[in-house]
Amino acid sequence: MKKTVHSGVAACKKYSRRDNQAYIYLLPWLAGFLFLQLYPFCSSLYYSFADYQITAKPVWCGFNNYRNLFTKDTEFWNSLWVTIKFTLYTVPGKLALALGIAVFLNRDLKGINLIRTLYYIPSLFGGSVAVAILWKLLFMDRGVVNAFLNTIHIGPIQFWGDPGYALKTICALEIWQFGSSMVMLLAALKNVPRDLYEAAEIDGAGRIRKFVNITFPQITPIIFFNLIMQTIQAMQNFTSAFVITNGGPMKSTYVLGMKLYKEGFTYFRMGSASAISWVIFTIIIVFTLTLFKSSSAWVFYGDED
Amino acid sequence: MKRQWAAIILTAALALAGCSGNEAGSDTATATDPSSADTSAAAKEETTTAREASGTEEREPVTLRFSWWGGDERLAATLKVIEQFQEKYPHITVEAEYGSSDGYNDKLATQLAAGTEPDIIQIEPGNMALLASDETNYFLDLKEAGFDFSLFEEDYISQRINGCYGGKQLGIPTGVAGIALVVNQDLAEAVGIDFTQEYTWDDLIEWGKKVREYDDSMYLLCSNKDYLANIVARTYAKQISGSQAIGDDDKIQKMTQEDWKTVYEYVQQLYDNEVVAPAAYMAAYGGDNMQADPNWIEGKYVCCFTWVSLSEIMTAANPSANYIAGNFPVAQSAKSVGFFANTPQVISISSRSEHPQEALLFLDYFFNDEEAMETLGTVRSAPPTKKAREICAKTGSMSPLLADIVNVAASYTGIVDDTISYSQEGRQIMIDQIEALGFSSTTPQQAAEDTYSLYNNLIEVMK
Amino acid sequence: MKKKKRLKKVFLSYVVIAIIGIVLLYPIIWMFFASFKTNDEIFGSTRLLADSYSLDSFIQGWRGSGNITYKSYFLNTFKLVLPVTGFTLLSSILVAYGFARFEFRGKKVLFAVLIATLMLPNSVIIVPRYAMFAKLGWVDTYLPFFVPALLACYPFFIYMLIQFLRGIPRELDESAYMDGCGTFQTLIKILLPLMKPALFSAALFQFMWTYNDYFNQLVFINSGKKFTISLALRLSLDAESVVNWGKIMAISFIAVAPLVVLFFAAQKYFVEGIATSGLKG
Repeated sequence: MKKTVHSGVAACKKYSRRDNQAYIYLLPWLAGFLFLQLYPFCSSLYYSFADYQITAKPVWCGFNNYRNLFTKDTEFWNSLWVTIKFTLYTVPGKLALALGIAVFLNRDLKGINLIRTLYYIPSLFGGSVAVAILWKLLFMDRGVVNAFLNTIHIGPIQFWGDPGYALKTICALEIWQFGSSMVMLLAALKNVPRDLYEAAEIDGAGRIRKFVNITFPQITPIIFFNLIMQTIQAMQNFTSAFVITNGGPMKSTYVLGMKLYKEGFTYFRMGSASAISWVIFTIIIVFTLTLFKSSSAWVFYGDED
Repeated sequence: MKRQWAAIILTAALALAGCSGNEAGSDTATATDPSSADTSAAAKEETTTAREASGTEEREPVTLRFSWWGGDERLAATLKVIEQFQEKYPHITVEAEYGSSDGYNDKLATQLAAGTEPDIIQIEPGNMALLASDETNYFLDLKEAGFDFSLFEEDYISQRINGCYGGKQLGIPTGVAGIALVVNQDLAEAVGIDFTQEYTWDDLIEWGKKVREYDDSMYLLCSNKDYLANIVARTYAKQISGSQAIGDDDKIQKMTQEDWKTVYEYVQQLYDNEVVAPAAYMAAYGGDNMQADPNWIEGKYVCCFTWVSLSEIMTAANPSANYIAGNFPVAQSAKSVGFFANTPQVISISSRSEHPQEALLFLDYFFNDEEAMETLGTVRSAPPTKKAREICAKTGSMSPLLADIVNVAASYTGIVDDTISYSQEGRQIMIDQIEALGFSSTTPQQAAEDTYSLYNNLIEVMK
Repeated sequence: MKKKKRLKKVFLSYVVIAIIGIVLLYPIIWMFFASFKTNDEIFGSTRLLADSYSLDSFIQGWRGSGNITYKSYFLNTFKLVLPVTGFTLLSSILVAYGFARFEFRGKKVLFAVLIATLMLPNSVIIVPRYAMFAKLGWVDTYLPFFVPALLACYPFFIYMLIQFLRGIPRELDESAYMDGCGTFQTLIKILLPLMKPALFSAALFQFMWTYNDYFNQLVFINSGKKFTISLALRLSLDAESVVNWGKIMAISFIAVAPLVVLFFAAQKYFVEGIATSGLKG
């Protein structure tokens, strides 16, 4: 794939005139970015350095919010740890399951499309209230899951009452919705050029070697994308913990998103809430930059410019 | 191809089902309830357009916004009162903004900060204490504005918790609230426990053991960490100290670390003696979700502490049991009875309302009109005025049980909770310690130290 | 022999697939049957089927709280979700095109900014946004949802479309441009038809996410007559009412049904759309 247009000098001139039109296409985004993202973003950075009770005007207070959070707050470090655990369980869990099932389904079987469709269904419901309620009911003390465990003489397990289980049960809700990653990975698997496999087979490569040497490099862009997006989502998770356990028991599901919500909207300390949001933001930034930095080493782009 | 057809047929079938379900649903709704929203909204529009068409001969149409939280019954009754009011005053339209209690405070705070709050607002007293200040001046002084308080008892409405802040009546209490002890009397008798006598906290422990001996799937007290903290521990604390946890006037802690230790030791005993269910079990029915506890529904608890306003929700969850209103425990060395009556919510008018006169008119109807009293019944707890209570008893909307519960609640005249320790965050401090006790991750000694220092921090922050 | 072995393998595959499928879908199926159950049947039982089937809990659920039925909650939801989806597509196409097909000054910086906004937690901006919308009088309308969609504030979809456009050979539109097509015409005539699968999946994702969203709707919508399904559903669970789980499962089922229907109707475009995407190079 050669880039023919770029080669001529004349074409280059014409191209630059054409390229100025880009700004017209970017206009809606530029406006949205400035007014609906950058401005609120800067305000919240300012608030994080301010004493801001929502009922009054913000007053500059330096690093006080951060200092309180890191040294005085009894919940912050726990919340941070819970959030990290949540992210570490759900992101790799979801991706591994999606990849495993995508690889398993990537074969010639009748009705494979229907199967793929059915597997996707749980992902349809995302963070909806309906599914959170369902999950809560399923895992209650006398819910179906415990009734089932009872028939095989286990439990009852207090999924929502035992601090050792609550977070994991919420993670299960998240991992249950692996479908969208699976669909993306399956599409990527289907796009791996067949001739690559044929060539490898001639070389006598086994299944595992084929996966490691051919399949995996080809789908790394999708994995990369999923890894970033899901980590960002997981770091901000709020709804499931809020609706199902309200952070309990023993703050074992008290994720940073909830801490932020409580701090901001229950105790009305917007400054401190903003500081928390900036902690979340910083973690996301560090993680993503690291991933981007490393991407040249492991992410394979077929025809990057 | 086949799959495509299947999909089309399935969609068509579901779409049809959806459509017919749609119509059937709305049909029944209009058939059974002639005053359904659609018709009333339509009627409303008609009157407004008619008015607009006929020119300016009458009063300008006014729209008021009224926000509250609550369940279905409260919603239905409040909408009906609004309708009746609008019939009386056709030029006023009251828009209902209702929602769940979750997030209500948050939304109100953001609305107040942004100046988009409704004209008429239902507020939780604990939250009101945070919002009412001379600086922000969010709410109208209703006495000054001329609201007719003649039906209300002076020493009831003049309490801070009931909306009176520094001599200004910023809110009207919607009902008599307080703590209730709902007793499953048949079970209590079977076990041999009498809640109608005077008894102490220690008796509760003994009775708890008795219940476990009687049937080891049963417990004496249906509770959760929130109720253990907000009712049991808090009242116990007030009884032993004879004062608020933190003084409302001087913002100084009145409870010593030793006092807190005594309180938490008692809570520890409740857990250890299995007077209450294990903490891990209770965790699933936190907050105001106690009525969802299947063991309560099946009648496996002898009693529960709850709020007057929620007592009928507790009893409705297991209608087969026979309930009575129990007395409250008082420690032998009590310096105060601790228990007290207040209001579950107040209703205020925003000082920035563009139509304060009309809003006053609405509240006058809401609180002082017999028709409204009858319609509202007890959806906001037992009504705040004697007249309304009489009407409720007459129409049967107030059950003999609720009347008993209100009478018990009103007969204890303990100390009202202070603003700081009863703020959301202040409550959370105790709730967290009590939960930690239940999971044995702290000791009464440690919990007492933590509570004391966390309250000091909180005082610092909230000053 | 070989054929037999293969058959056995295929059979085993189906068994595994079926087991996974049952585990995945059981909760939803259970939710449907739970709609017909009483609280007593729901608790402490592994039974899937209900004792008796009547539409009572559906009818009760559909009637909603007080005087507003689920018919209006549904209508409200669609009045909110459909424009948001349309606006998001419209703005995202333009912006993605701008990024993917032009070499302009500041592209690197702007693209980095776009990627950065992907990582912008919603919670960071919600309060300042609320204050701003309130000043504009947009609270309790659907404008706080429409305007960000129109102004391309969903960087995920822009990123997704950029990635997709990168997979379409540049030669296609560049030759069209050399032939005298304007850039807009190139987008409409050449690229848009090729982008169809990506657009469908973007639309579906945005529909789903907006439909399922709870937090933003809770913040921005106040009056009952403007409530969406998420808000109404949460209201039905209100702690101050006696919980009738059968009824709640019934409404929950009604609430998720449109997503399932939509998915089945559009899955041809959705799943295969990604699979047959223009990534041929």
